[in-house]
Amino acid sequence: MSISRFQYERWTPAGLSTVWTSCVILAALAVAPLVLPATAVEKLTTLWIYILLAVVWNLLAGFAGLVSVGQQAFFGLSAYLTLRLVEWGLNPWLALVGAAFIAGAIAIPISLYALKLKAGEFAIATWVIAEVVRICVMFDPLVQGDTGNSLIALNAYAPDFRRDVTYWLGLVAMAGFLVLTFRVLRSKIGSAAQAVRDDEEAALSVGVSVMQTKRIIFVLAAFGTALAGSIWLASAITFLPRTNFGVQWTVFMLFMVLVGGLRTFEGPILGALIFFVLQESFSSYGVWYLFGLGFIAIVFALALPDGLWGLIRQKRGGDLLPMGTLLKQAPIENEAS
Amino acid sequence: MSRLVNSLTRRTLLKSTAGVAAALAAPAFVRNAIAAGETINIGWINARSGPLSPFAEADEYVLGLVNAALKGGVEIGGKTYAVNFVLKDTQSDPVTGSKVAKELISADKVDLVMTSSTPETINPVADACEAGAMPCLSTVAPWEAVYFGRGAKPGAPSPFKWTYHFSFGASDFAAVYIDQWAKIATNKKVGVLLPNDADGNAIRAVMIPALQKAGFTVTDAGPYENGITDFSAQISTFMNAGVEIVNSFPFPPDFPVFWRQAAQKGFAQQVKIMQIAKAGLFEVEMEAMGDLGNGIASGAYWHRAYPFVSPVTGKKCDELADGFEKATGKPWSQQVGAQMALFDAAIGALKASGNPKDKAAVAAALSKLKVETATGLVDFTAGPVPNCAATGLVGTQWLKKDGGKFPFTLEVTSNVLVPKVPLTAPLKPFELG
Repeated sequence: MSISRFQYERWTPAGLSTVWTSCVILAALAVAPLVLPATAVEKLTTLWIYILLAVVWNLLAGFAGLVSVGQQAFFGLSAYLTLRLVEWGLNPWLALVGAAFIAGAIAIPISLYALKLKAGEFAIATWVIAEVVRICVMFDPLVQGDTGNSLIALNAYAPDFRRDVTYWLGLVAMAGFLVLTFRVLRSKIGSAAQAVRDDEEAALSVGVSVMQTKRIIFVLAAFGTALAGSIWLASAITFLPRTNFGVQWTVFMLFMVLVGGLRTFEGPILGALIFFVLQESFSSYGVWYLFGLGFIAIVFALALPDGLWGLIRQKRGGDLLPMGTLLKQAPIENEAS
Repeated sequence: MSRLVNSLTRRTLLKSTAGVAAALAAPAFVRNAIAAGETINIGWINARSGPLSPFAEADEYVLGLVNAALKGGVEIGGKTYAVNFVLKDTQSDPVTGSKVAKELISADKVDLVMTSSTPETINPVADACEAGAMPCLSTVAPWEAVYFGRGAKPGAPSPFKWTYHFSFGASDFAAVYIDQWAKIATNKKVGVLLPNDADGNAIRAVMIPALQKAGFTVTDAGPYENGITDFSAQISTFMNAGVEIVNSFPFPPDFPVFWRQAAQKGFAQQVKIMQIAKAGLFEVEMEAMGDLGNGIASGAYWHRAYPFVSPVTGKKCDELADGFEKATGKPWSQQVGAQMALFDAAIGALKASGNPKDKAAVAAALSKLKVETATGLVDFTAGPVPNCAATGLVGTQWLKKDGGKFPFTLEVTSNVLVPKVPLTAPLKPFELG
């Protein structure tokens, strides 16, 4: 398999048209708050958060094989750090973004320990880490145990302005992270990550820097989750440790990726859309809604392990965006041999 | 005014943009036009499903009474308005609470939001209202947890313009307990069992020093995580200290766990007063504990013996309690009167506003509200802090009663904070078996 030949085949006409379509959609979404009613703006902000979370978890579990059930550690941490930074006098908008970067940085020392563990052990460890982070945060007198706190500094801004800025923050974070993920996955790191996911020892034997690769993906995912946590805080205002550090965020991520399609770029976006629509339509059914979500997840895990996008890809014979490594590899190899 | 200008520019923009966007946005404008009529829309958020749902058990009954009383509308500033309530369920989840509050503000475009019971329900709703410039009235949660728990600082001016809360406070418990515990002879040694949560920490900060000042020896078993299943360390601490009074603010499911272990270890047998708050609000909790529940002391923010009358429905408190029992077949609970008081205060504020469709006027009316309710006088001009009104508590005790409609009754044993409420029984020492 020659790498140069592989690179030439990376952009398909379909891929390019997807990029242009996405740009047009993003541009339309960017001006949407000027025309849409307030409630639509709020709901779309939630959708950006969901997409961001789904993409992050797919990056971790789908592309690097790091099945984390503790992403809520970073989701809650950035919300907490925002409150801390505001308490120290920082502008709340700067604090929201700054907190996401700090939470991403905190993932580096955590990765030193967590990434030594594999598979199930790693999953359990991430959950334990999330609980430990929550308990530590609850020691802060600003949070006072379960009491929590609120980002009331944002109330200094008019409701319409705050709603729109939060929307744009969410849109930029979501779109920016999609682009970043796409670039990373198409770079050497992406190929290395997938090699590590498929077989760590084999990857090591061909010279992939396993720890380094895993760390980059882990920290990137922590940063993405933290961004989502910041935007969530901006839209909800309330910080309650058990809610912001709740394991339900990771469960949402898992559901969206599982339904949309693990290991695909488009799947998590589709999964987030489906989850969002389900939540908007059925969440008033309470327990039955949760039961339904669980049932859907089980059906997908058993009958459609590649998710909806896996099915669509089979039907249409390719992805919208060429990831260049996972699927395109097989036909190229056949041609070469 | 700015909202009008805003929607006008939106309207002009809409005409010039794609038809799809217009179709999407149109229902909102239609709703706007209807809401501008003579109906007051009040959003009412409560935890109607999930673990906190017992707090909503009286909602249906109270709403039925209020709807009947307001059938002919409410006259405010010379105009008669119909009143429409929009109910939302938090599913006992703060995330859903925040979401439904935003829906009430942006989609339903209500004029006032009401919510109640536990900081987990109130705080996210109040935060969404504060952020969305929506007047909000809440009750039933220590006011410290709602005021300081949402970022207000002691001594600093209130950061809240739109959200108002009336309830008992963490600081009320000490006064009730000091009065209640003096009624029987003990060694004045108190063991306190407080979790590391909103209520536990607020109580720890204000109640323990007050008890010590009143001459009690206090043994604090230390903050613990809600949901733990082994209280043996706390129990032996209390046994070693020789405490005869235990005071706890447990997460409700934790209390039977603690109390059963205390009985197994022989500690419950030495306790003369078992005083709980937060748990023990509902008769079914006592029924579930059987003999261990007989004689447990608690506090109440409403009782059927309260001598007040709900101005909205004209019902006396015992009428409310009897009506609830008749309508549901369940024993009355404090939520009946507390939810009634929420309506009393909300309607009182709307009347005082002069214009219920003007949110700033409603918020201003709330800040100066002084109104009689089913739980007594709610007075936002008297403090304890801006945006909060204190309504007090009475000391109570659960006693087994033969021949009653239900196995346990709740007796009023201390009225030091609300002297108008008559005592219904003397406090009895706890005796197991």
